[in-house]
Amino acid sequence: MGKRALQVRPFAWAAVIAALACLFGTAAQAQQPVCSVWLIESSRFMNVPFGSFMPDRAFVPGSTKPESNISTVDLPVNIGVIKCGSELILYDTGWKQQDYLKMTGSEHWAPIADQLKVLGFNASDVTKAVIGHAHWDHAGQLSDLPNAVLYVQREELKAVEWALNYPEPHIRAINSDPGGCYRTPACGYMPLTMEEVYGKVLKGKAVIVDGEMEILPGVRIHPAFRAHTAGSQLLEVPTSIGKLVFGSDAFSSYEGIRDWMTANVQQTDTVQQFLAYEKCYKITGGYNNCVAAHEPLSYTDKYPLTKNSWVALNGGRMAEIALAPGEKSRKP
Amino acid sequence: MHGGCAIRTIGTRGGRSLLLAGFVAALAATAGAAWLHEARSRSTVQAAAQSVSGRAVSTHAEHPQPPALTADEERFATALWVVHREATRLAVAMSFAGITYQIEDRDARALARKIEPMARFFHDAEAQVRAMSAPASLSRTQGQYVTAMALYANAADEMLKFTEDSNSQHLGDAHQMKMKASEDMLRVGEVLWPGQYKPH
Repeated sequence: MGKRALQVRPFAWAAVIAALACLFGTAAQAQQPVCSVWLIESSRFMNVPFGSFMPDRAFVPGSTKPESNISTVDLPVNIGVIKCGSELILYDTGWKQQDYLKMTGSEHWAPIADQLKVLGFNASDVTKAVIGHAHWDHAGQLSDLPNAVLYVQREELKAVEWALNYPEPHIRAINSDPGGCYRTPACGYMPLTMEEVYGKVLKGKAVIVDGEMEILPGVRIHPAFRAHTAGSQLLEVPTSIGKLVFGSDAFSSYEGIRDWMTANVQQTDTVQQFLAYEKCYKITGGYNNCVAAHEPLSYTDKYPLTKNSWVALNGGRMAEIALAPGEKSRKP
Repeated sequence: MHGGCAIRTIGTRGGRSLLLAGFVAALAATAGAAWLHEARSRSTVQAAAQSVSGRAVSTHAEHPQPPALTADEERFATALWVVHREATRLAVAMSFAGITYQIEDRDARALARKIEPMARFFHDAEAQVRAMSAPASLSRTQGQYVTAMALYANAADEMLKFTEDSNSQHLGDAHQMKMKASEDMLRVGEVLWPGQYKPH
């Protein structure tokens, strides 16, 4: 009897341990934090030649091919609003000066503070601002987020400083000529935007990131150097619909990620951009949960992640992407 | 004899009316069909045009183009661009000098070495732009740019004071001046060089 009991016990113990493991595993899974996510259209660039946005989609007069029969597109400037418990994160922060609007033919702009109010948030509630890169249309309005800690890659800052001090004037110029700066190394880093970044650093409200960083449980910064600019960074966010990856201009186009086409080439190494796409595929299991900054199909059924959308301030659009358990819908 | 006459009488007047009515009806039907055909063709062309332009639903008005600069205004814009190109670069470089000080070396002497030539440039630029001959239509724009240069020059002076006495208030004051200066430069750019900003 004793011997049989000894023989049975190992199996019994194994069964008990397995049961406990299942129990704790389930509990642990249930406790894994998830965030709620919305998307805000900060503004929209109107009538942009498709070919300047995606070189492989350049318009060919008379073409019937879907990849070359669209001459211009309207590009939203998308901001991610991410709520994880008591923390409110913005991924990219848009821009605000009305002068930019006039100069770029943009429409449907509204101040970030007002847009957040539509979702029931205050600008002062924002605890973190993760900028995908420091170009003027993605790193603006920082001074309107008084409590937000800015997260920017050291690699981004180093590259701009390098460019500014380069001997060749065309390479070091912010603007090569009155027509613009045509993707040279310091192109897009305008005085007002950079001064706002400096302001956050000066006030001790900036974290200079070196590569990977987990900023909250499950919320991770991934470097995507040269996928758009020298120090581009992605943001992985756990949600009830799976992981999302925000990519700013490394993920300028959802169709680009889906179809493996480069988009919005600035200080870009296209190989690095494709590797950034791959990173999203690996983290999320596909392309549908990659959040693009300028996708023309945003807020429509054709970009499914963003289809739960509505029109908000000044004709700008918003989308509710995912809600954490217990989070109420903020869609009007 | 009576039926024949009656028939002849009725056939003459009633027939003409019927013929006339039939002719008018046929004419109206032809005209209606032609109009419908034209209307359908127009909407097909419009739909194709919209699809080609990529605008599924577009309700925005065309942006009015800013009026072209006059020859005198263009001359001033060209002359000012020489200053503006370098002023833009050095404005950003000043921000980065501050960033590097805060996050890297905290070396006040290195900061001073970077800021001193910037201070000289902006002081010189203020005088240079003030001395430029601007058309009356751009006198306000010129004034705005002079103010921006003066603010940047003063900001550089404040940062140099910080390198001497380590009083961080100088850095805060410099930051406020640079924010204002960059906004002023932006407004001048909107008038003189509206194409310099592109989507990024």
